[in-house]
Amino acid sequence: MKKRIKTLYVIWYREVLIYLRNGVKFFTSIFLPILILVFFGTGLKTMLPSSVLNYDFVQFFFPGILGLSVTIMAVSSTMSIVWDREFGFLKEILVSPISRSDIILGKILGATTTALIQGFLILLIIPYLGIDFSRWLFIKAMIVILLVSYGMAALGVFLVSRLKKMESFSIISQIIIAPMAFLSGAFFPLNNAPSWMVKMAYYNPLAYGIDALRWVTLSESLTKEEISLLTTHPLFLCIIVLLAFNLVITFLSTRVFNKSIY
Amino acid sequence: MEDLIKEAEQTRESQNNGSEIIQVENLRKRYRNITAVDGVSFSVKKGEVFGLLGPNGAGKTTTINILCTLSLPSSGVAYVNGYDVVRQPADVRNSIGLVFQETILDSHLTAEENLYLHAMLYGVPRKEYLERKRDLLKFCELWHERRSKVETFSGGMKRRLELVRSLIHNPQVLFLDEPTIGLDPQTRKKIWDYIFSLRKKKNITIFLTTQYLSEAENCDRIAILDYGTIVALDSPENLKKMIGEDIIIFRTENNQIAEQEFRAKFPMYSIKQLGKELRIKVDDGDKFLPVLVKAISPRIISMELRRPTLEDVFLEITGRKIRENKKSEEEEERFNLSSLFSLFSSPKK
Repeated sequence: MKKRIKTLYVIWYREVLIYLRNGVKFFTSIFLPILILVFFGTGLKTMLPSSVLNYDFVQFFFPGILGLSVTIMAVSSTMSIVWDREFGFLKEILVSPISRSDIILGKILGATTTALIQGFLILLIIPYLGIDFSRWLFIKAMIVILLVSYGMAALGVFLVSRLKKMESFSIISQIIIAPMAFLSGAFFPLNNAPSWMVKMAYYNPLAYGIDALRWVTLSESLTKEEISLLTTHPLFLCIIVLLAFNLVITFLSTRVFNKSIY
Repeated sequence: MEDLIKEAEQTRESQNNGSEIIQVENLRKRYRNITAVDGVSFSVKKGEVFGLLGPNGAGKTTTINILCTLSLPSSGVAYVNGYDVVRQPADVRNSIGLVFQETILDSHLTAEENLYLHAMLYGVPRKEYLERKRDLLKFCELWHERRSKVETFSGGMKRRLELVRSLIHNPQVLFLDEPTIGLDPQTRKKIWDYIFSLRKKKNITIFLTTQYLSEAENCDRIAILDYGTIVALDSPENLKKMIGEDIIIFRTENNQIAEQEFRAKFPMYSIKQLGKELRIKVDDGDKFLPVLVKAISPRIISMELRRPTLEDVFLEITGRKIRENKKSEEEEERFNLSSLFSLFSSPKK
């Protein structure tokens, strides 16, 4: 067991090391979401004055952007698998005595960590957006971010394992990540959307993640009734779905990765 | 059934005696429509430098990949350090070190970090790691560059670092798949110097493939692989003896007379005129040279004694030079445009 943790640690360590080493990526990954929140959010707010809505638009917008940027970070971190395959380093890991499932778990945890760091930094700007918060809210939000980023990291591994070239990532992001983002309720509340959209969103794990983030981050600014107008599912359902999704996708990504080797 | 397997294992162990570190029997690897390795058998003794030679696509890399558990054989068995490559892959991986054809260092990281990751992957205790890192880096003259990022390294430095890395976990067998490909001749020579002095120092078994036949001369034994089968297996000296003769090439002021005189005096040797030169094959070139000089009356302009090289051996055995790839040319011809057009033309005529 101790040995297993140690090997998981190596794979994780490398993932995080590369993330921290890449200063430009580190900076831009936080810069863009803040840019969207401040400029885009403030701009949209002028179209939707608070006399129409009984909440601040940025309050609505924040959990969505938080969830999306965590997702993008988690999925793009798993691209290191393709990078490693293209430049051969994957072989170095594959010929070492580490078991294949540990390689995958290490990769997922590494990508989760980078997304977690991202989520933490974005969470820090909460006080400047007019959202009430406390230490307890911070902890709860981090737990939800952990659930979301783990699931998205595992999904990333699942999608990316079979890719042979870095360029293929744009296909994944357009065909799978973009629809997931638009159907997640990050940009508009899904319960006002047409029913076919709502039905599709039922199968979108990210929608549950964004809902959970909204319940948690807004819990001290808005009443429960107000939040339920902005979300599709109650919090406990979101958490259960996220946990179930994480379990299933871990299993699936391990399988896909094992098959992709030979 | 299980008893049978056990029995086979016991006999294998008794045969093994610790002297043969790699055993391969009737190894086959079939991809969808090509057989890359077609029934290969050989064994490598402990402490030996064993070379696998062959042209591109002969199955060298496939063989190495099977031996280091990166791909599964279609049939046949292979044991490395006494472990079955199919059933005990983790044990096999623990006992081998690898340098692949392509550089597989993590270029984002420093030399030291690459080594550290490797040591962690193989579970090397910290103290041993630090000791070996120091020794090996100094030995390969990379100690001062240990904190630099790998992206700044030259090709030769990267190769040296890979060599260091492959030895960090003290493997029993070192696999080198074309370790000097793409390097300039000086760097190549240096890499080989390191490899051979390492072997003396650590008494490690080395299994290598190369296309440069001159480099293979230093191996203890060589297997020549062609179209997935072993066509020759022996020490370089014996392989060269197989071809037998030394070759003497010389020019005289009057080649015709020289040729006639030669035929009259030495009917047992063959002589050929090649351009302005005469070419003869003899058993013992060293001793025959002075005899030849005395036996021929026209003045000799130039004279050259050539020993058969592995290149000649290869030419003799496979009927072509190592880097001509006749096979692929033939296959390309089959897929020419006219065959495509024939798809559209009506079959009835």
